[in-house]
Amino acid sequence: MNKIKTTAGITWAFLGLILMIILFPGLSGFSKSFGTLPFMKINPRYSGGEVAFTQSAGACTLAVHKPVFNGLVRDRNTGFVQVDWRGKIPDQIRDTIDYDNDNVPDFVIAVDTKKPASDCCPLSGRVTGLGISSRTSFGWAARINLRKTP
Amino acid sequence: MNEPTLAEKSLMTDSFILGLSSGSACLVTCGMVMFPYIMAGRGGVMKIVLDLSVFLATRLVIYFVLATLAWYFGQAFLTSGIVRTFVTGSLYVMFAIILIWYSIGRKKNMKCPAAIVTKVEDKRLVPVLLGVVNSIGFCPALLLILTKGAAQGSLAQSWLAFLAFFTGSSLWFLPLPFAGKLKKKQVIETIGIFATGLAGAIFIIKGLILITGGILNG
Amino acid sequence: MDNSSIAVSPKKTFGKALLYTLPMFLVTFMFITGGKPDFSDPARTVAILVTFFGMNLLYFLMHYSGKTDRYRAIIFVIFALTLSFTLIRNMILIRNSMSFSQADILECKIPFCHLVIPMMILPAALTKSIIFPGTILGGFADIASMVVLWLAATVVLGRGFCSWGCFYGGWDDGFSRLRKKPLVKKISDSWKWMPFAVLLLVALTAALTMIPTYCNWICPFKAVTEFEKVTNVESAVKAGVFISLFGGLVVALPVVTRKRTQCSFLCPMGAISTLSNRITPFTMKIDTNACTQCFKCVDSCPMFALTREGIKEGTVSMFCSKCGKCMDSCSRNAIHFGIRGVPAGTRKNFSRNLFLFVSFLFMAVFSSQPIVFTLNSLYNLIF
Repeated sequence: MNKIKTTAGITWAFLGLILMIILFPGLSGFSKSFGTLPFMKINPRYSGGEVAFTQSAGACTLAVHKPVFNGLVRDRNTGFVQVDWRGKIPDQIRDTIDYDNDNVPDFVIAVDTKKPASDCCPLSGRVTGLGISSRTSFGWAARINLRKTP
Repeated sequence: MNEPTLAEKSLMTDSFILGLSSGSACLVTCGMVMFPYIMAGRGGVMKIVLDLSVFLATRLVIYFVLATLAWYFGQAFLTSGIVRTFVTGSLYVMFAIILIWYSIGRKKNMKCPAAIVTKVEDKRLVPVLLGVVNSIGFCPALLLILTKGAAQGSLAQSWLAFLAFFTGSSLWFLPLPFAGKLKKKQVIETIGIFATGLAGAIFIIKGLILITGGILNG
Repeated sequence: MDNSSIAVSPKKTFGKALLYTLPMFLVTFMFITGGKPDFSDPARTVAILVTFFGMNLLYFLMHYSGKTDRYRAIIFVIFALTLSFTLIRNMILIRNSMSFSQADILECKIPFCHLVIPMMILPAALTKSIIFPGTILGGFADIASMVVLWLAATVVLGRGFCSWGCFYGGWDDGFSRLRKKPLVKKISDSWKWMPFAVLLLVALTAALTMIPTYCNWICPFKAVTEFEKVTNVESAVKAGVFISLFGGLVVALPVVTRKRTQCSFLCPMGAISTLSNRITPFTMKIDTNACTQCFKCVDSCPMFALTREGIKEGTVSMFCSKCGKCMDSCSRNAIHFGIRGVPAGTRKNFSRNLFLFVSFLFMAVFSSQPIVFTLNSLYNLIF
């Protein structure tokens, strides 16, 4: 019994040695495989959620994401909708956004990219105010806070 | 509209954590008093489950009553925003310090207030009375959740806070029937004491944020 | 040849130590240079060579002297310092500030650190997503790579990750060595269970709020890496908490106690790593035939892993981080690296050699990038 335990232990130790030797050269491959697992995607509360629709205006494209209310088990009452401006963005931005495509404008967002300063004027009871708004590598992004029920 | 501060949001999380950390205190202080009474007598597993359910249901009812009373007093006395902020913040800090002291001094001759129930003659009343005594024991964690309930804008939010508190504290009672078989009771107790202390630290920070924010915002 | 009853020194002759160093020499050269050595940049060349030869010299000394901890600690502390230097320098170059920007959060560019792992498990299981604004693949410290590295190291080293891999552990390890004797000697053993309470609370609060609460509120190493800009009361309190915890648990307490108090009393990762010690192939063992119960090892252990009762019983607790400090303090080689299933007191040198190769390889390669970067920067600064 002792001999079996010893053999098993030493085998396990050598497997550990092999794992450590192949770990760094194989890291790229291991990471890629690990990255394909179902849970390996950034939560919409951080990624901003999927893009719902886009509108182009010359060299600038407005992308409105789907509203994010994700919680642990079910949706929460509060969330946000992310709005991006990509490409060549103007110094002054002013857009009226209907994020849920019900033909009723939900908020007006104004951005002065030079100052920089942002403002949001809610037009719907579900819009509670401006969250983060910042210049990004692709242009400008803003998150407008929402609540599910007005 | 301003973004709610950390002290205002995460209502359910705070309450659940407070319940979780207080539950360990309840279990350690009173568990070994309640355990024989919940487990005593004949009737098998169903009887134990029934008694435990009655005990927990009693606690839940009492908590809803306390939630209502806390909210009512909050509405009556914490009228202005500044009063609400300062009083809530100060009470958080005070009760949290007591909670930490409670967790440190817990091993020193803490008696279970529920022990009086053991003198009742009709044993069928024991789970109900234990539930009543356990829920109105006014331990520091309960004082904190009462403060939280009083600070809520709506009765529903106060109920939600107490429900989360009840859920967190009840988790510790569920394995009670298996308590005798637990090998690492001492370790679990130690971890529970630390969790209580950490929950206290969370509320000290929340209280300080409320008070400091209140001072700076006038 | 190992002998179970006689104290066998792990020291080797010069030639033998050199022979044992040769495989590490070759493997680290391959891994540090990526298999394609590029010496076109003189600054980087110097940095790589200094790192490479320095590491292998320390590995050689481990074999030649028979001491483990004193040489391990040199790289471990340098790793922690250079990682902070690398992060801070990059942040100041790019953003002119130590605080991360809203753009970094919006674009999910925050570098991932293994301390997030305990908080991502529950949300990952229930929401099938990661609650962290980082990149899954590609970029600096992407989530997939960091998790794979941590997973592999934990499976093989167990809590040894805390002494051979964690890029923060070097801070309190370094501060714990400043004094020759501790000012505070008696600390209750119970405190070593606190990381489990921290783990419970941060895992639950992170799951309920969908925010990595440890990182957001109580990570002491935010004081030496990056943190949220102070714009309101809440962020000011957070900064205060980070600095206080760093000052208390990472600096002051390790100095006065000569123990790694942050790792032992707060880190939730330490709690998970402690549990993983039950599955790893490498352990610490006590040769009760050689042990004289002088308890020098108990006093020297920085992680509260050894107790007098345990030494008498011949057991090392699961809190052991395999730093080797107890071994260095033992004149009889009674406490030694071991392999699970192999009886205590047997195959001491074999176990040590195998463990050292595995753990040192991981530490050398994992730490090489920030060390090379720092040396490169210092070279450019000086010349």
